[in-house]
Amino acid sequence: MHFYLPVAEMSANIFIFLAMGGAVGFLSGLFGVGGGFLMTPLLIFSGIPPAVAVGTESAQIVASSVSGALAQWRRRNVDIIMGLVLLAGGILGSIVGVRLVGDLRRIGVFDFFVAICYVTFLGVIGTLMLIESINTMRKVRGGVVVSARRPGQHNWIHGLPLKVRFQRSKLYISAIPPFVIGMFVGLLAAIMGVGGGFIMIPAMIYLLRVPTNVVVGTSMFQIVFLTAATTILHASQNQTVDVSLAVLLMAGGVVGAQFGALAGGRLKAEQLRFLLAALVLMVGLRFAWQLIAPPSDVYSISAAAWGA
Amino acid sequence: MPQGRRIATTLGLAAVLATGLLAFDSSESEGQVQQQQQQRRKGLRPPPPVAKEAPHGAPEQVKREQQPGARESVQADVSARTVSVTSSFNGTEIVIFGAVDNSQQPSAESGIYQVLIVVEGVPGRIVARRKNNVAGLWLNTSSATFDLVPSYYAVASTQPIDEIASEEFRASHGIGFQHLRFMPAFGQSQALSTEDLKEFREAIVRLKQKEGLYVQDQFSVAFIGRSLFRSTIELPANVTVGPFETRVYLFRDEKLLSQYTIRLNLEREGIERHLHFFAFRFPTLYGIMTVAIAMAAGLIASAVFRKSAH
Repeated sequence: MHFYLPVAEMSANIFIFLAMGGAVGFLSGLFGVGGGFLMTPLLIFSGIPPAVAVGTESAQIVASSVSGALAQWRRRNVDIIMGLVLLAGGILGSIVGVRLVGDLRRIGVFDFFVAICYVTFLGVIGTLMLIESINTMRKVRGGVVVSARRPGQHNWIHGLPLKVRFQRSKLYISAIPPFVIGMFVGLLAAIMGVGGGFIMIPAMIYLLRVPTNVVVGTSMFQIVFLTAATTILHASQNQTVDVSLAVLLMAGGVVGAQFGALAGGRLKAEQLRFLLAALVLMVGLRFAWQLIAPPSDVYSISAAAWGA
Repeated sequence: MPQGRRIATTLGLAAVLATGLLAFDSSESEGQVQQQQQQRRKGLRPPPPVAKEAPHGAPEQVKREQQPGARESVQADVSARTVSVTSSFNGTEIVIFGAVDNSQQPSAESGIYQVLIVVEGVPGRIVARRKNNVAGLWLNTSSATFDLVPSYYAVASTQPIDEIASEEFRASHGIGFQHLRFMPAFGQSQALSTEDLKEFREAIVRLKQKEGLYVQDQFSVAFIGRSLFRSTIELPANVTVGPFETRVYLFRDEKLLSQYTIRLNLEREGIERHLHFFAFRFPTLYGIMTVAIAMAAGLIASAVFRKSAH
């Protein structure tokens, strides 16, 4: 059954996109991430214009993370002060990012830029996560008790001004690092069509030293509002949000996420991290291939909508 | 879906044949109607049609063939003047049919006349880009902008177009891919050589062909009777909405006898039309609506699943 997408202006098979939403929703429920870093590439590789993929996926992440964020909220895993600081930076970054998407698209290098971003960030994050999770798994096997929280470790971050007490995170640190991290994540969220969990979670764990249970809840909380803002910005600035496509992905996604969350409870944290690392690396490699492999046609055409 | 389309095609064909039959004896039937009206005025009943047609039909045909001076003209129409692009739009097929008035060919196979049909979509601006390998990575490095590029372009004919019309004629009427009238836009971002422009131009035609948006079929117009001909063109799902122009040329021995133009329109309809309008006219509101839908979808789903889990 086909459906004509009003903004992407193409005919799409409903079931393919429902299935895509379901599969990615399952994984996002499993790992507690928005799933954007999987969905946006899938959309791009299935022929949706990259800018529309990025804009539309922002909307889908709102749907897929709002229920998770609510669940985390109920479990009191959200540090609201931390979340708001991250969000403030995030929205600023998103404004810049959405603007950049429009400009890069006009000069015809947005596809390239997206691919570079995916290769760089997924490559680095994936490799680090892989190494870390393998080390943890070894230690666990060796009988060493591993704690995600490392109290008493001070670094340069603790020397910055504007200190704020982040109660639920059990931290008393400057608001500048979370704000800057939020801004960076916001920028990436707008350009890559992701929630930014894959940057946010490691940054909170390793840079801010937030306890792992609070990390997931807080990052989900800020992802909901960051992607909501990003969606509105993409729609108003670039007209690249396809509501029909978003609804298809949501329908699949929200259902898949519920099953993913159930499955996630049965796996150990380090196993989850290992699997996520492998996935992240695979997507990164796929983009690397796209950049390196000779294209089947060096030419491409597009309608110039904004009088470029 | 395919069944619906098959029915539509069948209906289209039926319409073509019906029109063809009418066109076939158009002069006769007009005469008949006049006669009938006169008879009605006089209060006479028309004689049974079978008895009337037999003696009259034969001499009329002979008379027509005996008039070599009468100029032929062409009339045509399309199976749908308005095509709706709705949510379920997945491409469509359009039947173009026409008839030659004063046809002098004895049968459909005699091939006295050549018919050439050009279907052209809205002209617009297209940017063509070329990738280059920079330090091992492929990225777009040069581009060319063209104006008046038809969104869709199809040429259908009874035989190869170079056998139908002269090079000059095709060039002046924009018939054939090499005679498409699109041109480089003013104020290119990059200075390009004539050679480069030619390559970009060829790339546009090639890529449009690959998308099924530029089509040339040299034997797709067929005569069905002495005067009736038909052709089908395929509008793919990725076709751009807007007005389409269909030009029908009637040729005999490389000489243009007659030309006929039909307009048809591809329009967004239903929910698809409203959403597109909303997205481009009130983009911020549209964004907020999308987010509201997303939040609602997420929350409703979680509520439903929580209930079913307990």
